[in-house]
Amino acid sequence: QQQVALQQLMLQPGTLPTKVVCLTQVVSADELRDDEEYEDILEDMRGEGGKYGNLVNVVIPRPGPNGDLNPGVGKVFLEYADSDGSLKAKMGLNGRKFGGNQVAAVYYPEDKFAQGDYSC
Amino acid sequence: SGAGSRKRKSRWSEEEPRSFQLPDFMKDFTADLDPEVQALNIRLLEISRLLQSGLPLDDRPEGARSPSPEPIYDNMGIRINTREYRAREYLNKERQEIISQLIKKNPAFRPPADYRPPKLQK
Repeated sequence: QQQVALQQLMLQPGTLPTKVVCLTQVVSADELRDDEEYEDILEDMRGEGGKYGNLVNVVIPRPGPNGDLNPGVGKVFLEYADSDGSLKAKMGLNGRKFGGNQVAAVYYPEDKFAQGDYSC
Repeated sequence: SGAGSRKRKSRWSEEEPRSFQLPDFMKDFTADLDPEVQALNIRLLEISRLLQSGLPLDDRPEGARSPSPEPIYDNMGIRINTREYRAREYLNKERQEIISQLIKKNPAFRPPADYRPPKLQK
């Protein structure tokens, strides 16, 4: 059970390197509701994120049509082909400003990302 | 790449030259990205947990163990160097060595309170 406890600790979000970088508190729900702004943000993310490595996927959770907030709203997920790219992106984007918001970049669990779980 | 054709300015701030001094906790952070340091940290955690767990540290069956050293007894006639005691010693030693290495690799690393730097022996 020690092993299990240890594994659980290692699986805590942000602890171990993954290919997915999560930028937290980057965008507001309001910005994401607007289709044009959303596209702009997506483009900015692809452009900047692509500088650090082979960016294969960008996910920006949007608020639902009724104004309900999905748990991932406000975050941006950058998935790289390898953890070399995600490491560089994490180092390069952490602390930068996006539209005035100070960005924190952390690793995101790959399994959760694959399942579309953006909650942690 | 292709940024010139863009009408709109990116919302990203310019990449700041990172010449400013990183706070200590950030140094920890960047050093932690070194896979070697990561491995050391993981092992350190593992050992610390094992030592604190109270679980039997050497539960290898009789046949799988290497021969025991000569017993040492205290003045009450109780054996000091039990298997458990020796296993604990080994782990403690490894733990101290890992901490020494971590300090070497990252001067910002804060060793646990019970860490004693190795004595310089001549």
